[in-house]
Amino acid sequence: MKKKIVIGLLGTILDSGTSRKRWEKWRPTVSIGQFDDFLVDRFEILHTRDSNRLAHCVRDDLAFVSPESELNLHTVDFNDPWDFEEVYGRLYDFAKAYPFDPENEEYYLHITTGTHVAQICLFLLSESRIVPGSLIQTSPQSRNRTGEAGTYRIIDLDLSQYSKIHERFNRQTRDDVDFLKSGIATRNKRFNEMIEEIEHVALRSNSPLLLLGPTGAGKSQLANRIHALKKTHNTVDGSFVEVNCATLRGDQAMAMIFGHTKGAFTGAVNAREGLMKRADQGILFLDEIGELDLDVQAMLLRALETGHFLPVGSDQESTSHFQLIAGTNQDLSKRVQEGLFRHDLLARINLWTFLLPGLAERPEDIEPNINFEMEQFEQNHGQQVRFARDAQKRFLSFSTSNEALWSGNFRDLNACVTRMATLSSGGVIDSATVEAEIQRLHKTWIELGSPPKPSVAKKHIVDEDMWLSLDLFDQIQLRQVLKVCKESRSLSDAGRKLFEKSRLQKQSSNDSDRLRKYLAKFDITWKDIEAVRSA
Amino acid sequence: MIEIDGTYGEGGGQILRTSLALSLVTGKPFTIKNIRGNRKRTGLLRQHFTAVNAAKEIGQANVEEFFMGSETLCFAPSTIQPGDYRFSVGSAGSAMLVFQTILPALMLADGPSQLTLEGGTHNPWAPPFNFVESAFLLCLNSMGPKVAMKLERYGFYPAGGGSFDVSITPSTKMGKLNLMNRGSLVCTKVLAQVANIPQSIAEREALILARKLNVSTENVVVENLTNSVGPGNIASVMVESEFSTEVFVGFGEHGVSAERVAKRLASEVNSYLIADVAVGQHLADQLLIPMALGKGGEFTSVKPTLHTETNIEVIKEFLDVDIRIKQLNEKAWSIKVALA
Repeated sequence: MKKKIVIGLLGTILDSGTSRKRWEKWRPTVSIGQFDDFLVDRFEILHTRDSNRLAHCVRDDLAFVSPESELNLHTVDFNDPWDFEEVYGRLYDFAKAYPFDPENEEYYLHITTGTHVAQICLFLLSESRIVPGSLIQTSPQSRNRTGEAGTYRIIDLDLSQYSKIHERFNRQTRDDVDFLKSGIATRNKRFNEMIEEIEHVALRSNSPLLLLGPTGAGKSQLANRIHALKKTHNTVDGSFVEVNCATLRGDQAMAMIFGHTKGAFTGAVNAREGLMKRADQGILFLDEIGELDLDVQAMLLRALETGHFLPVGSDQESTSHFQLIAGTNQDLSKRVQEGLFRHDLLARINLWTFLLPGLAERPEDIEPNINFEMEQFEQNHGQQVRFARDAQKRFLSFSTSNEALWSGNFRDLNACVTRMATLSSGGVIDSATVEAEIQRLHKTWIELGSPPKPSVAKKHIVDEDMWLSLDLFDQIQLRQVLKVCKESRSLSDAGRKLFEKSRLQKQSSNDSDRLRKYLAKFDITWKDIEAVRSA
Repeated sequence: MIEIDGTYGEGGGQILRTSLALSLVTGKPFTIKNIRGNRKRTGLLRQHFTAVNAAKEIGQANVEEFFMGSETLCFAPSTIQPGDYRFSVGSAGSAMLVFQTILPALMLADGPSQLTLEGGTHNPWAPPFNFVESAFLLCLNSMGPKVAMKLERYGFYPAGGGSFDVSITPSTKMGKLNLMNRGSLVCTKVLAQVANIPQSIAEREALILARKLNVSTENVVVENLTNSVGPGNIASVMVESEFSTEVFVGFGEHGVSAERVAKRLASEVNSYLIADVAVGQHLADQLLIPMALGKGGEFTSVKPTLHTETNIEVIKEFLDVDIRIKQLNEKAWSIKVALA
């Protein structure tokens, strides 16, 4: 059995009394020596110089009630026992100097005595494992059984020992991650991992976040959810303020972000406080940050570093403490090389960088997002909408194919679901609506300047019925394999690329054969691929 | 190996103490499971821990599963070492119970012992010092050994901190005890004591006891103790008869008036007097082990308690004796210990 060591502060009020009457009152420190089922091998009692006499009295009384225990007094002087910094410092010093031997001894920090500040400090020392022990809390006997030992409770702050609390933490994290994803059960592993990381960072840090990704990938939506999440966890007080920097030009950008005084420039009839001030204690989301003018960038950097900035036309600095979330679709390092973006600003905001993949890169997430968009439509329009079975199959097959570019990402998806839902007859989206929508999407994407890629995985190479009979898992794999094939000169070239690792590990000698067999499973020959490529 | 079940009968600490005491005397090892199995908090508390420790030291025993709160124990003594010992019980646990555990072995050892025991000396749920000194030792010494006790400091619950010395001159041949009849009443004495609380409490108790038991003033003593750490109050009545002496003790407690303490005690004394037996219920309990270790004997007493019956069963586990309880009349019983 390990020895039991109790460390506690002498309670100048609760432990007080040096007259004969003292035995008729409950004294927490003495009571620990009286418990008949808790044998303390050593007491370490911390007391101030002022309470020297009381400390000796308590020690002598402990010697009577607990003759088995070794008793040590330590003088620890607080000028102000309610000064957190001082009390923590003194207790920390004591703990650091104490020869803890957790292999042979168990430690109990007595938290019943001392000021509330001291209790908090003991709590922190235990929780941080600076004192490797549990807490012990003593309470007097109820009713008037004065002088009796009362009761004690031992509290272990090692949370990992409490499976229920642990489970709740995990559940909370899951809920938070769900929240960031707007409740959409996304399946893309990379995307899900990124969201978990964002959840982690968002709740622990107020440093800038940089969200990269194509337009419509959901940067603004995510920034908004981060703010809402922080709000529910009380890690942010202020509002969420959002602006797309591409819409700001010249002086107007300065004035918009930093505010201006009355008459600062033509048209400045009234003073305005600006977005930065509005984001004080909150979150400022600057989308397309690469579009900001260099002078605005300089001012932004200063505000980020010092919290101070100068509104346009003012000689009085204003302050704002905000968390910056920046969004961009551009390669900012390239902008730096071109002299269009400040290097120091990039360095400042490039701390937590997250790349939001476009929708086309997350084909497995398209279905849950369609469902989400449908639910949103229902909520906004109060109208139930669903796909006819064939229509749904057709639309899913199209939307996850290479034909679907999703160049506007979620914006496209949202628009397309809204259109189909609006055009649905009696709340049912039928095949005709889906076909019309597919044509419309093609048209949009062509008009936007990116011609639809010739279908690799469908029609030309793979028979449509065969394609639709495949699991999503196989579809994804096959699509990528065909993509590599298309970009390769020959079957052996493609095989080399696809099985490079196993070739290096000498696990496979015939790459072409392996690839040929794989393609054959889907009735595909190298000739089919060449035919499509030349078309 | 003797196996003891700690839930037997009253299922408390006495089963453990009797087992330890007899294991030391007989040299027979034992295991006990479910220690204090019928108590709210089972297992070894501090006073039991100290008792096991004392037994371990005196009998140079090998003890397994020995830790605070343990519910099983394996105890195997080797040889009894008489000598000078000091044992302390914390938490105002009774030092008397530690004494009770090691006394049988030391009173039969091959040399004298000198003990200093610290802890509670007057606890409501253990034989108090003045009962052991005046009633029990009188009977015990008549059987052979010479045991003397001296109280240095009172240890009342909950402060504890009492202390007493014991000197033991053993006897290799323990005799017989026959106490069928206490004989005629010689005198009744009342002693009311307080420590660190108003003396008036003791005075009120003395007044009532004297009146209820018809004790003449010269036999009533009120004492204000100075050799006590904490507060405490006891009232004792000593009934001296021709062939026996009994001591009854009442404890003052918070929220119970001095009058009530005195009345309760007076009625306990009266039921002993009316029963016309030699031994009260507590003394009956204490005498069984010495008689079983000696040449047996018989005494009359009031109705045996569950505590006594449990004790008898444990004694029979270690010693080849026959102990019989017989009801003599409505208020009197006899207990006979016969060696096989």
